[in-house]
Amino acid sequence: MAQIFPKSMNVLARVSILAVPFLAAGGGAAGTAFYRSDYTTGAREVTEQPIPFSHKHHVAQLGIDCKYCHTSVEVSASAGFPPTKTCMNCHQQMWQSADLLDPLRKSYATGTPIAWNKVHNVPHYTYFNHSIHVGKGIGCYSCHGNIDEMNLIYQSKTLLMEWCLACHRQPELHLRPKDEIYNIKWKAEDVTNPDTGKPYDQLTLGKLLKEAHQVREANVITNCSICHR
Amino acid sequence: MPPETTKAAAGEQYWQSIDQWMDSTQFETLMKNEFPEDAGEWLDPVSRRQFLTVMGASVALAGGGIGCNPSLKPAPARKVVPYVKQPDQLLPGVPLFFATAYAQQSGVGLGLLVKQTEGRPIKIEGNPNHPGSLGSTDIFAQGSILSLYDPDRAKEAKLSGKSGGYDNFVTSIKNELEKQLGKQGDGVRFLTEPSTSPTFIALLDEFTKRFPKAKWIQYEPISRDNSRKAIQAAFGAPANVVYKFDKAKVALSLDADFMVSGPGAVRSARDFMKNRKVRTVKEAIANGEGIPVESMNRLYAVETMLTSTGAVADHRLTLKPSQIPDFTKALAAKLGVAGVTAPALTGLAAQWLEPLAADLLAAKGAAVVLVGDQQPAAVHFLALAINEKLGAFGTTVTFTEPIETRPTDLNDLKVLTDDMKAGKVDLLFILGGNPAYDAPVDFDFAGALKGMKGTKVRLGVYEDETSFDGQCQWFLNASHYLETWGDVRAFDGTVSVQQPLIAPLYNGKSPLELLATLLSYGINDPLELVQATWKKFHDATAKGTDFESWWQKCLRDGVVPGTAMPAKTVAAVKPAGEVLADKAFAVPAAKSGLEVQFRADPTIYDGRYANTGWLQETPKPITKLTWDNAAIVSPGTAEKLGVTNSFGWTGGENGRTIADLAKLTLDGRSIENIAVFILPGHADDAITLHLGYGRTHAGKVGTGAEKGAQGPGFNTYALRSSSAPWNATGADLVKKSETFFLACTQGQYLMESRKPARHATVAQFKADREFAQIPPASAAEYKELRELTPGTVEDFKRLGFKHPYEQHHGTEHAAHGPHDKRMVPLSLYPTNPSTVNGVEASKSYRRWGMAIDLGACIGCNVCVMACVSENNTPVVGKETVTKGRAMHWIRVDRYFSIPGDETQSDELGAANSSAEYRAGQVKRSDSIRTHFQPIVCQQCEKAPCEVVCPVAATVHSADGLNDMVYNRCVGTRYCSNNCPYKVRRFNFIQYSDYSTESLKLLNNPEVSVRSRGVMEKCTYCVQRIRNAEMETEREFDKRKVAGKTDKFGRPKIMDGEIVTACQAACPTSAIAFGDLNDDSSAVLRAKAEDHNYGLLAELNTMPRTSYLAAIRNPNPAMPKGA
Repeated sequence: MAQIFPKSMNVLARVSILAVPFLAAGGGAAGTAFYRSDYTTGAREVTEQPIPFSHKHHVAQLGIDCKYCHTSVEVSASAGFPPTKTCMNCHQQMWQSADLLDPLRKSYATGTPIAWNKVHNVPHYTYFNHSIHVGKGIGCYSCHGNIDEMNLIYQSKTLLMEWCLACHRQPELHLRPKDEIYNIKWKAEDVTNPDTGKPYDQLTLGKLLKEAHQVREANVITNCSICHR
Repeated sequence: MPPETTKAAAGEQYWQSIDQWMDSTQFETLMKNEFPEDAGEWLDPVSRRQFLTVMGASVALAGGGIGCNPSLKPAPARKVVPYVKQPDQLLPGVPLFFATAYAQQSGVGLGLLVKQTEGRPIKIEGNPNHPGSLGSTDIFAQGSILSLYDPDRAKEAKLSGKSGGYDNFVTSIKNELEKQLGKQGDGVRFLTEPSTSPTFIALLDEFTKRFPKAKWIQYEPISRDNSRKAIQAAFGAPANVVYKFDKAKVALSLDADFMVSGPGAVRSARDFMKNRKVRTVKEAIANGEGIPVESMNRLYAVETMLTSTGAVADHRLTLKPSQIPDFTKALAAKLGVAGVTAPALTGLAAQWLEPLAADLLAAKGAAVVLVGDQQPAAVHFLALAINEKLGAFGTTVTFTEPIETRPTDLNDLKVLTDDMKAGKVDLLFILGGNPAYDAPVDFDFAGALKGMKGTKVRLGVYEDETSFDGQCQWFLNASHYLETWGDVRAFDGTVSVQQPLIAPLYNGKSPLELLATLLSYGINDPLELVQATWKKFHDATAKGTDFESWWQKCLRDGVVPGTAMPAKTVAAVKPAGEVLADKAFAVPAAKSGLEVQFRADPTIYDGRYANTGWLQETPKPITKLTWDNAAIVSPGTAEKLGVTNSFGWTGGENGRTIADLAKLTLDGRSIENIAVFILPGHADDAITLHLGYGRTHAGKVGTGAEKGAQGPGFNTYALRSSSAPWNATGADLVKKSETFFLACTQGQYLMESRKPARHATVAQFKADREFAQIPPASAAEYKELRELTPGTVEDFKRLGFKHPYEQHHGTEHAAHGPHDKRMVPLSLYPTNPSTVNGVEASKSYRRWGMAIDLGACIGCNVCVMACVSENNTPVVGKETVTKGRAMHWIRVDRYFSIPGDETQSDELGAANSSAEYRAGQVKRSDSIRTHFQPIVCQQCEKAPCEVVCPVAATVHSADGLNDMVYNRCVGTRYCSNNCPYKVRRFNFIQYSDYSTESLKLLNNPEVSVRSRGVMEKCTYCVQRIRNAEMETEREFDKRKVAGKTDKFGRPKIMDGEIVTACQAACPTSAIAFGDLNDDSSAVLRAKAEDHNYGLLAELNTMPRTSYLAAIRNPNPAMPKGA
C-alpha cells in the first residue's frame, strides 16, 4: 500500500510534537491573561447610573471632601453611600431644575431611594472593611484609583484576590500618612526625608509608616479568616 | 518516679446510652465499624435514577447559564440603595443594640439587648442591667428571633376565615360593645395568659370601669396555682417569692428544676452556680470567677424525672410523684415543724432523712428548700414552713408584693367554659395562649368554643388550634414582641419597657392596642399607651425632672428605675396542722398502677414554641431527643413492662432510636400510640410525659405541610385533666408490637472510653488537685499532658503555680526535655505560627483560647441556641438528625456514670463487666450521676483536620484559629474523618434556606450562609474577633494614649471585649474566652487551675479549648451510693 503522507511530512510531524508544550504554555498564558483581563474582571468598565454623577466635577473641581458623602468610611465596613438628603443639601440651592437631577428630586419628594449600580463588587464571602484600611493609612487612591479624574466612575483595579493579597503581603508599598488618606494626588516623592533632605521613595516611607501605624505582619493579615468568615 | 495514679475520677466509667453501658457486642461492633450497614445506602426519598436525572439537568442548566450570561466576574452586579434621609445614629455596617424585654412564661420579663443591623433585628443578647438576665438569656429568648421571621405567622386580620381588615373589626366591635353597655358587660369575657404588664392592667381596669361585669380569666397550662395557694394559706395574703441563691449554702429541690424553668431561672442559675465554680487562683476568686473549694454550696434533689437540676445535684433521690409529699412531711416533722405527722419512709428515702435534716439545720439561715410547680399545694406550704424553721426568710427566701395582678386559677377557666356552654358569653376575647389545644381535657374547651354562639375574637401570632378555619369569627394577627411597644415585670418586679426593633411585618396588633381599640373604638399608637402609664409613674416618683430624658434613659438602660418591688415582711406561717387539714390541701391517695407526671417540654415548653425549628432541633438536656416527646420510663420499669429501645443506624451514626410504641391509659382516657423512651435515673413505676407535642395547627415545622395532621411527637394533653393536672396515679401502659423511631442524639459522636468528662468530689479534689490530668492511655504520661494544654511557664509562675514540668522534674527539666518521647510534639509541620520579628510567635500574637467549667454547666442548651442564631446554622429535620447530620457547631454531651462501681478502672484491676451485673447497676436510678460537657471545635494547635485537607480549605491562622474557608472546600470530608472530637458538620444537601423571603432577614450578615457540599464548624465566633480586632487596630493611637497596649506596645484588645455567642448567653458563665497572651485574661486564670484538662490531649492535638473538671460536694454523712 502506498504511503499516505509524503516523506516531507516528517518535518512537520516533528515540529508539531515540539510545538505541543509551547501551545499548552501559550494556552495557559492566554487563559490566565484572559482571567485577569478587564473583560473578565470588569475593570475600567464604565457603569451606567440613574444619575450621571461626576466625581471629577465634585471632587477635583469643587473640592468636596470624600467624607462629606462617604460618612462612615472611618468607622464602618461600609464607606457609606450618601442618602438623597446629602445631595439635596446643595441641590436645593443649585441646579434645582436641571433635567439630569430629576430622579434625585423625585426620590426626595416621594421618599423612594435611588438605586445606584454598584461599581466595586466584592464577592459576598469577602468581608472587606473600609475603616481598618483607612485607619492604618491606605488611601482611597490605592483601591479606587484616580477618582478625581473620572466622570462616571469605573473600577480601576481587578479586585481579584491576588490583588488584595499583593498589598496584604507588602502593605508598605501603599501606606501613606494618615492626613493624606483622602488626597488622591499624594505621592511619597512629595514628602522630604528630614534625614537626607531628599524626597522619600514609597518603600522607605512605607516601612516607616508601617511601624508608626502598627500595621500587623504579613503572616497575620494574610490569614484566611481576616477576610473570609 | 512515676506519678501516683489518682483514683478519683480515674476509673469511673462514663457512658451515654444504656447500650454503651451494657457494652453489648452488638454495640461494640457497630461503633467500631467504619462502614455501618446502611452508611452507603440511599435513604432519601429520591431514587438514584431520579437523582441522576436531576443532576444531569442541573449540569445542562449550569452550562446554559454561562451561555446566557457572559459575565465571568467574581461577584455579580448589585445595586446600592441608600436612604433618602439616613436615620440618626445609624451607620450602615455598624450594628445597633436596643434594650427591650421578653415576656417569658407566666408573663415574667427577661431583659434583652437586641442586635439590629440596618433596621432588622438579628440576634438576642441578655441585658446586663436587668436583674433577671445579668447579660444571659434562656433558649426561648434566643429562639424568639426566629419566630419573628417565621413564614407561618398569621399575616392578616380575618373575619370567618376570610380577609377581614382591622378597620372593619373596629367598626363591628363598636356595635357589639355598645350592645353590652346596657348589660354592664355581663356577656364579655377576656381569656389571656398571665400578664405582668402595668399598661395592660391599667387598660383592662379602664375597660372594667366601663363594663363592670366583664370578666378577665387567665390561663396557662404550666401554672403556678399551687405555689400561690400555699402562700395565700401560709400568710393570709398573696406574695411573690424571690430567692437569693447566692446566699444559699445548702439547697434542697423538691421536684424543682429551678435553674432552667420558672420565673427568674436565668438569674437563679447564675446565683446558684456561682458558688459551685471551684477556683484556686487567687486573682480568679478576687474577680468573682469562682470560689475556694471550702465555700462550695451543696444541692440535694428529690425528683421523678431526671432534670438539669438533678443532674448537677450532689445528691439525688428518685421518688415517684406520690412519694414526694410524704418525704416532705417526714422532713418537716424531722425539722420540728409543728402539726405535721411524719409518715413512715422506706428505702433510701428513710436513710436520707437524718443526714439531710442535719445538714439543712447546720446551714441555718443559709439553707433553702424549693418546690416545683408540679407538686401539690401541701408540699409548697410545707416548704414555706420548713424555710421559716431554717431561718431562710429574709436571707435566702425573701418576699415582695405579687408581680401578677389578680391572678386567676384553673377553676376560673372551668367557670368560663361552663358559661360558654350555657350561652352566657356574648363576646369572648382570647388574647394569646392556645386554650383549645392546652386546656384540661375534661373541660372540652375546644368543643365549648366551637359551640359558642356569641362573637369570638382571637388575637394570636399563629392561626393555631384555637383559631384555625375561622373558628373564632374574628382572627386578629398579633404583633411579635420585637415589633411593638409594651412593658413587662421581671421576677422581682423590675419593669422593662419593650420597644420595637422593627415595624410590624404584617401590620399585627399587640394586646395593648386591641384593648385600647375596645376603649376608643379607633386605632391607637402603642407608644402613647405605654408612655401614658409611665408618665404617671414619672410624675409620682421623679417629679421635677424632664420626662423625655427620663424616658430615654429607661429605654436605653432597659429597666425603669425604682420599679423593683420592695421587700415585704410576711406574717408567721400559719400552723401546719390547721392548713393541711383543709380539703384544698389534701394530697389524693395514690392508686395502684403506674404514676404519671406531666412536665413542660424542655425545649418547646407547653407547645407554644412548636413552630420554632431551632428549638425543635435542640436536643433536650437529659434525654437528647429532638423533634419528639415520649413516655419516659426507667430501665427497671421498662423491663417490667417489656418495652425496649434499640439503636438503628443511619448514615454511620446510631442516631435512630427504635422505641416500642405503647397504649397509655389514664382515668379512662388513652393515647393509642406513644413511644416509650428508657432513661436511666428516672424514678421506677412512673412515667414522665412532656407537654407541647402533637400539635395539629402549629405551622410547617410544628405540624407539617398538611394542616390538621398531627405534628411531631404525641399530644399528652389528651390525658391531662383538671383533677390531676400534674401528677396522676393509676395509669396503665400496654406495649404494642409496632415501633417508632426517635431522633436521639445521645449515641452520636462517641468518644469511646476516653473519659472525656471528668469530675471529683471535694475530698478527692483536696487530696489531689490535679485529679483531672489522667490520660487513659498511660498514667506515666499524665503530667506532660498539661504542657499540651496551652499556657506558658511564665503564666503559671505569675499565678503562683509551679509549671507541671518543674513540679515533677525540677527546674533543669527544660534542658533535657520531657521524658516520654511520645509526648514531644511530633509534627511534619513547623511550629505554628513561627517567629515574627525574632520573637517567638506564640508569645507575640494574640492567642485565642477557651476554658469551659464543667462544674458550672447545667446542660440548658442556651449556648447551642445562641450559636445557631449567631452563625446562621440551618435546621435539618428529624430524619436527617438520625443520620448524625444536625448542623450545631456546639453540642452538649450528656454522660452518665455510677460512682463507687465495681466496673471502675480499666487498667488497675479487673472490672466487673458481666452483663447481669451491669444490667442490675443501670436500674439503680438513685446512683446514676449525670455530667454535661459542651463540645465546640477545640481549635487544636496541631489540628488533625488541617493536614488531611487536599485543598487547604482548613488552615491555621496566626492567632491560633483553625480557619475554615468555605469557598475552597470541595467536600471530601477527610477533615471530619480525622477530627477526634467530631465537631465538623457537613452540608450534605442544601440545608440553608435561600428562598424564604422572611428568613433572609434573619441571617447574620457577618457570617457566610453555607451552601451544599461545604464543611463547617465552630469558628470561636471569628466575626466577633475580627470586628473587635479591627476596632482596636484602627484606633491604635488612642489605645496607646489610654494605656491599652500589650508588652510590645501594640494595641490590646482588653479582656472581655470579645465575647463569643455561647459565652454571652451562658447563664452560669461557664465559658471563659480570651487571649492567652494577655496576662490578665480570665481564660488564662482558668487554664492555670490544676483541674483544667485538655480533651483527648494525649493525641497531641494541643487543644485551645480546655475543660475544668467538675467538682461535686457530697455530704459525707449521707448513705453510701446516695
